[in-house]
Amino acid sequence: MSTLTAQEHYLSSFSQLEAKLPGQDAAWLKSLRLQALEQFKQAGFPTDKLESWKYTNLSLNLLKEFFTFEVPASTTVVAAQLKKNGFDTDKAHLVVFVNGKFSKELSSLKPLEKGMTVQNLASVLSNETVKAFIGKIALSQNKAFTALNTAFFTDGLFVQLEAGKVLDAPVHAVYVSTNGSQTTQSHLRNLLVLANDSKVNVIEHYWGENVSAYLTNVVTEVAMATGSTLDHLKIGQEDIKGYHIGSLIAQQEEGSYFASRLFSVGGALTRNDIETTLGKKKAECVLEGLYLAKEGQHVDTRTFIDHLSPNCNSTEVFKGVIDDQAVGVFDGRILVRENAQKTDARQSNKNLLLTKEAKIYSKPQFQIYADDVKCSHGSATGQIDEEALFYLQSRGISRDEAKKVLVYAFAGEMVEKVESGYLKPGLKKLVDSWMEVS
Amino acid sequence: MLIIKGLKARVEDKQILNGIDLTINPGEVHAIMGPNGSGKSTLAHVLSGRPGYEITGGEVTLDGKDLLSLSPEDRARAGVFLAFQYPVEIPGVNNTYFLKAALNAIRKSKGEEELDAIDFLELVKAKLKPLKMDELMLQRAVNEGFSGGEKKKNEILQMAVLEPKLGILDETDSGLDIDALKVVADGVNALRGKNRSFLVVTHYQRLLDYIVPDQVHVLAGGKIIKTGGKELALELEEKGYGWLTGEKVKA
Repeated sequence: MSTLTAQEHYLSSFSQLEAKLPGQDAAWLKSLRLQALEQFKQAGFPTDKLESWKYTNLSLNLLKEFFTFEVPASTTVVAAQLKKNGFDTDKAHLVVFVNGKFSKELSSLKPLEKGMTVQNLASVLSNETVKAFIGKIALSQNKAFTALNTAFFTDGLFVQLEAGKVLDAPVHAVYVSTNGSQTTQSHLRNLLVLANDSKVNVIEHYWGENVSAYLTNVVTEVAMATGSTLDHLKIGQEDIKGYHIGSLIAQQEEGSYFASRLFSVGGALTRNDIETTLGKKKAECVLEGLYLAKEGQHVDTRTFIDHLSPNCNSTEVFKGVIDDQAVGVFDGRILVRENAQKTDARQSNKNLLLTKEAKIYSKPQFQIYADDVKCSHGSATGQIDEEALFYLQSRGISRDEAKKVLVYAFAGEMVEKVESGYLKPGLKKLVDSWMEVS
Repeated sequence: MLIIKGLKARVEDKQILNGIDLTINPGEVHAIMGPNGSGKSTLAHVLSGRPGYEITGGEVTLDGKDLLSLSPEDRARAGVFLAFQYPVEIPGVNNTYFLKAALNAIRKSKGEEELDAIDFLELVKAKLKPLKMDELMLQRAVNEGFSGGEKKKNEILQMAVLEPKLGILDETDSGLDIDALKVVADGVNALRGKNRSFLVVTHYQRLLDYIVPDQVHVLAGGKIIKTGGKELALELEEKGYGWLTGEKVKA
């Protein structure tokens, strides 16, 4: 084992696992997996020599672990815990995965009208839509974790809406990781396909209850046809043993509206890539996020908005609170191509550092090749306002409590921006409980 | 009630208070006047526990309790309230939430039951009226975008809700027009009582027309150089501080 590299571990595991992966009767998928494995072999794991991984060095931690693939069966309570945490799951389509596998018992899928599908991906691999989109939006070339995901994915969420369909109740997918003395990993693949003028609200919620280190590697592909609307929210609540690598990649057609909101509080190391291509005119995206990190946590968020067509809008607001010796990274790239006239792109990244040791690397990047555009960006990093702290203390509020009030005043804006009544109480609790134990 | 003995304090290398002696009995209103840089605001800050000052001598007790060893929040809980000269804007913190958190922190420290949202709102609405404050101010972020007058009224509202033993007004008149000044002064006067004392720090005599003090102290060079009744303020208005300090300083 000691002479094996992490890359070799994955390559050698594939031949043993291949026959057990879902989609054995889908020849297209078998060849896609093999192709991805080859791409992973070519690319290798990213090093900090790569610009996009400059501040996140995996060789120090993640690549030292040889996570096992075969996870013993395990049970956990999901719906009750979600309710305790503020999510009234009776009002949602709950889709639960435990250690990379769909759990029918823990899920509660409500009947849907014709033209809407909410399923686990492994059960629909013969579906032509799946074949048409998997691996077409999130490309594996030069992307080690996407390639690994394509080669190894076991399951994930599949949502498909036909033209004009509106799914009112949110789809709440929960991905639980739970292990014992052995390290574990799961590769999850989600696919969301929205036909013309359809509309849905999807929540990806990752959480862990683990004894040993584990990796969650997730890829979500989103195809949005003309006039479709997706409200997407991702909650990263991995436990402190967890490594989370996630990509959310969207393709937007004319007049589509994509909102992506990220709330990341957990994990020893978290990396989120969020990308969208505004492929046709009048498409719009809103990317928002809040990352909270403390102790030795490392949280890296990278966004990329590709303004390919004219008259598209993008609004991006990310905030971070970094405590103790934690490290945060925000890398927000916006590309406005030559053809993308009348683009309106705004980006903002604000960070609050709670200690002298806490670090943030904030890197906004605009590349503009069109001349008739409105673009603005701002990045600001600061500490807690001592004046405000004293003001609160002078009214009888303890210093610790006053700090929490001020942190929430900063971070809570991202919770307040979420309009969904289903999500708000849970998100508020998420932020509150982060502050309680910090 | 408040006893200050030989209080000395400095900021970095600069000695500002050079031995202040002052006793305020329950129910009394004392005014501190003095030229710029005399240490008036420093005295108010030091009493409230603002960071950045080093106490180099003396002691301060409130009802026998040593104030100087307490954190700012514990001083507030012991009954000290500082109305800021420049109230701090706190975006993202709702005014009602802030007031309720403050009141409940103080009640809790006294072993009293915390107020729930309904009882609290009833209480705070009753306190708003005499200050001619709009209820909408409660929904706004603390002091954010408030006018000068609104900010000072908000300070007095906080004082009315928290009911301190000692109210310290740090140049509360600064930046107020005459109408707002009257409202603020009325608010303070309504809070006067036999168990509540005030220390009114002001540069001008004008405020003292409305909040009539029992005693007036003149501070210069970090020391109290003269003490008198309310007439002293009028005399100062007329003659300027130079009359007492021997320097050519105009009020």
